[in-house]
Amino acid sequence: MLQRIIEAVRREEGVHDWLARHIRKTSTQYYTIGSRAESRRSVQSEKVLVTVMNDHAASAGGQEQMRGQAQATILPADLADETSLQHKLNQAVFMAHLADNSPYGLPAPAEYPTVELADLTIQSRAKQVAEGLVQQLLAALEHEKDVRLSSAEAFVEETQIELQNSRGCHGEQTQTSLLLDWVLLAASSNDEMESHLAVERRRVSDVDVAGMVRRHAQYARDALLATAPRTGVFPVVVSDEALEELLMAEGHSPLIYRSSAQLKYQRMTPWEVGATIFTTSPSGDQFTLYSHALLPFGMRSAAFDAEGLATHRLPIVEKGLLSRFWAEQRYAEYLQVPATGTFGNMEIAAGTHPFSALLDDDATLYHIVAFSAMSPDPFTGDFVGEIRLGYELTAGRARPIRGGSISGNLFDVLARAQLSQETTFLGDYVGPRAMRFADVTVAGA
Amino acid sequence: MVFKELPPEVSKVASRLPDVVLEMERTAPYAAASLAGSRGLRISVNDREQVVTEVPPSQGLVLSAWNGSFFEESATSEVTAQQAFQLARSLTSRMQLAPTSTRLDSGPTLRQHFSTDCVRDPASLSTKEKLELCIDVLRRARKLDTRIVNVQVDYTETLESKVFANRNRLLSQGVQRMRFGVVIMVSDGQRMQYDWLGKDGTGGLELIEISDDELLKLCDNAIALLSAGRIPPGMYEVICSPDVSGVIAHEAFGHGVELDMFLKDRARSRQYLGKAIASPLVDILDDPSYPGGHGTYFFDDEGQLAAPTYIIRQGVFERGLSDHYSAHSLCMPHTANGRRESFERKIYVRMSNTFFGRGQTPVQSMLDSVEHGIYLQHTSSGMEDPKGWGMQVTSHYGEEIVNGKLTGKRFAPIGITGYVPDILHSVSMVGDDFLLSGGTCGKGHKEWVPVSSGGPHLRLKARLG
Repeated sequence: MLQRIIEAVRREEGVHDWLARHIRKTSTQYYTIGSRAESRRSVQSEKVLVTVMNDHAASAGGQEQMRGQAQATILPADLADETSLQHKLNQAVFMAHLADNSPYGLPAPAEYPTVELADLTIQSRAKQVAEGLVQQLLAALEHEKDVRLSSAEAFVEETQIELQNSRGCHGEQTQTSLLLDWVLLAASSNDEMESHLAVERRRVSDVDVAGMVRRHAQYARDALLATAPRTGVFPVVVSDEALEELLMAEGHSPLIYRSSAQLKYQRMTPWEVGATIFTTSPSGDQFTLYSHALLPFGMRSAAFDAEGLATHRLPIVEKGLLSRFWAEQRYAEYLQVPATGTFGNMEIAAGTHPFSALLDDDATLYHIVAFSAMSPDPFTGDFVGEIRLGYELTAGRARPIRGGSISGNLFDVLARAQLSQETTFLGDYVGPRAMRFADVTVAGA
Repeated sequence: MVFKELPPEVSKVASRLPDVVLEMERTAPYAAASLAGSRGLRISVNDREQVVTEVPPSQGLVLSAWNGSFFEESATSEVTAQQAFQLARSLTSRMQLAPTSTRLDSGPTLRQHFSTDCVRDPASLSTKEKLELCIDVLRRARKLDTRIVNVQVDYTETLESKVFANRNRLLSQGVQRMRFGVVIMVSDGQRMQYDWLGKDGTGGLELIEISDDELLKLCDNAIALLSAGRIPPGMYEVICSPDVSGVIAHEAFGHGVELDMFLKDRARSRQYLGKAIASPLVDILDDPSYPGGHGTYFFDDEGQLAAPTYIIRQGVFERGLSDHYSAHSLCMPHTANGRRESFERKIYVRMSNTFFGRGQTPVQSMLDSVEHGIYLQHTSSGMEDPKGWGMQVTSHYGEEIVNGKLTGKRFAPIGITGYVPDILHSVSMVGDDFLLSGGTCGKGHKEWVPVSSGGPHLRLKARLG
C-alpha cells in the first residue's frame, strides 16, 4: 500500500517535498459490568498519512518564496481505483499551494536509536491479556472488604508505523499499548462511593493490578468518610496519578507548551533560554526537567518523531533555568536552534526528601491523591481543580477529604516545591512520586 | 436508496448492509451493521503561520451481533462487500449464544436518508475564499490593540456520513458541522493572557459570521484579564452566562443520567428518579434533533431517530438517556443517545445538545438583583462525578457584581464546585435568553463526540475558588 502511494506522490506535479506514514493497528477490547461481559470488540485499521509540501511565490506578490503543506489521509477504499487516490493528492497539493509560510525543510536521514516499545506478550496473546487483566482485578478485589468492581475496560493494541520522506528518511517501529480503565465501588450501610483509575502502559508487566487495587480500594472506602476541606492557604502535597495529571495535563502541560519552539516562534511563550522559568524567586528543591523519548516502554517514547527526526533524552530545564526549546524540524529552522523532535515523556529529577517527610508537619497540610480533573492552563500555568479525594493531616493524624478545590499557578508553586526522593513511572511520566507545594489556596467548607 | 455523502465504492457496500445483517442473524438473535465516515477542511491562520489541510478522514465498517446477553463487534477500515460478508461469518462463527437468550427490538420498518439544511452551503465558497475569510478576521483583530502578541483564527467544516442497517431499517445521514474560532493572545510585557470566541453548529457558512463588535469585546476581555486576580474562596451569588449554565447541565448533571451509569451502579441520580432534584424553575433537556446544534444528528449510531428528552421538568428528575443495551437491560425508554467516537470504538450512552430550558426573567433584571456576586462568563473545562455528585466546572474568568452593576474587576480562573443537588436547588432565576455552545465531550478521558450545551442565564449560589 505504502509503495504504491509513494509512487503516486512522486508523479504528482507541485509536490516539492513529501512525507508518508503508514499506520496499521489492531485493537482488542473487552468491557465488563461487574464480572459480567458487556461487550467484546476486535478492530483492524490501516491508513497512510501523506503530507505534501508545495513551494510557490507569496500570494501577496513579490519575489519571496513561500512553502505550504497539507495532508491527505489515504484509506483502503481510496485504492479501489486510481482516480480516488489521484483526487486526494491533487487536493492536498492545491491546499498546500494556498498556504504562505516561510520556507523550511524536512529531517535528513539519521540513525535511529533502539527504543523498547513492544511487549511480546501483547503481540502474541492480545485477547488473553485483555480478559486476563480484568480477571486479575476481580481476583485482587476478593481480598478487599466492602469493595467491588463497578465496571472495567481493557484495550490491548498493536500499532505498526513505517515512515518515509523525500529526503530519504526511512524508519519502522512496532509499538504495543494497553489501557485498563476501572471503577471500584465501596459500600457502607447507607452510602456508596467510587474510585476511578485509567492506566496506560506499553507492557503488561508494568501494570501492578494487585497493588493498584489495594490503594484504590482504600481510596474508595475513605471516600465514604470524607468531608470538605477547610478554606485557607495551606501546604499541599500532591502524589502519584494526581501529580502526573497536574504536570502532564494529558499532554497539554504548561511545561511542555512554554518550552516549545513552535510557541516561541508564534510569540506565545515568554520563556528565554538561560532564564528562569519561575515567576517568583525559587526557594524549593532544584527543578530539572528532561524530554525523554528513549524511556523503555514510555507512552511517549519513539525511535523517530512524526517527521522522521531521531529522538533523544534531552534536558529542557536545568536547576530552574530553560536549557533549550524542544523543536520540530520546521521550528528549529525558523529559530535557528537544534532540532530535537517532539517532546517525549516527562522526566523530572528526583528530590532529596523522603515521601514521609513531605507529609510530616505539626501544622495542617493537605495531601491530594485524586482530582476530578486537573488541567492547568497550558499558556498561563494557572490551575484550579476539584479535590476528588485527599487527606487533611494535622500532627500525623489523617482525615479524608473531598470536594472543594485547590488553585494557584504552576510556575509559582514549582518555584517553592519540595520533591520526594522516591520516584515513580506512570506511563508518560518518570520522576518524584510526590511534591509538596507551600501556600496553596484551598477553597473548602 | 442513494447515499449521496459517501464515496461511490463505499456506497456500493452500504446497499449490501441489509444482506450482511441477514447473514449474521442466521446465528445471532439480533444484528446490525453500520458505516461511519467523516471528512472535512481545516484552515488555521495566525500572525506567523497558515495551514490549509484536510480534517483527517475516517471510514469504517462495524458489525454488531447480539449473543443474547451482550454485543460482540468486529470493525475494519477495509470497506468492501466481500470483507463485510467475511467479517460477518467470522464474527458469528466464534460467538457463543447466551443460555437464556433475549431478542432486541429492531424498531418499526423505515428506509430514509437525511441531510443537514444549509442556508449558505460551505461548497458555495472556494477553499481560497475561505482562507481569505480567515485572514480578514485575523487582520481585523490584529489591529485592535498594540498589546496583542498573536491572533489565531480557526475554520473547520466536517461532513459526517453514516449508514445504519438492521432487519427493519436502512437509514443514512449526512451531517454538516461547522466551527469557527478566534483566540486573541495579549501581553503587558510581564504576563500573558488570552480569550477566545467560538461559533459553531450544524449548518452552513451562516453560522460563522463574526462582527467587529464581537472582536472588540474579545480583545477588551483579553486585556482586562492581564490585571485579573484570584478570587477569595467562598460561597457567592452567581450569574451564569449560557455557556456556564450549559456546562453545569452537561457535566454536573447530564453525565450522571446516562443510563449505562445506572447499570454500573455509578449514578447517584438513580435514587432521585421521579423526585425533585432541582428548583421548580429548572428544566433540563437533551435534544439531538435541536435545529442547528453542534451535537445535532438525525439518528444515533443504533438507528434510533433523534427526539428531545426532558431529563428534568419543573425540578423533577423525569428520565435518563439511554442506548439500546441500557434501555433493554433496565426496561427503560430507549432514547437516541447511543453514539460512538468512530468505527474503532464501542457505543456508549452519550449526550447531544444538553441545555437548561428557557425561563422568563430578563437578563438585566437578574444582574440588577445581585447585591454582591460574580458574573461567570466563559467556561474552560468541566468534569463529571456521577457517584459523588461533586461538581467541577472551571470558568476562564468572572466579573464582580456590586449593587447590580458589573464593576470591571475580573478574577481568573475560577473553579465552581459544590454538591450538584444543592446547586440545582439554589437556582433562583432563569433568564429569558437562550444560546448553545459547541464542543466535544469525552466519556471519562476518552471517546470524543461532538456536542453542544447551553440554555439561558441562571442565578444560583455556588462555592468559588
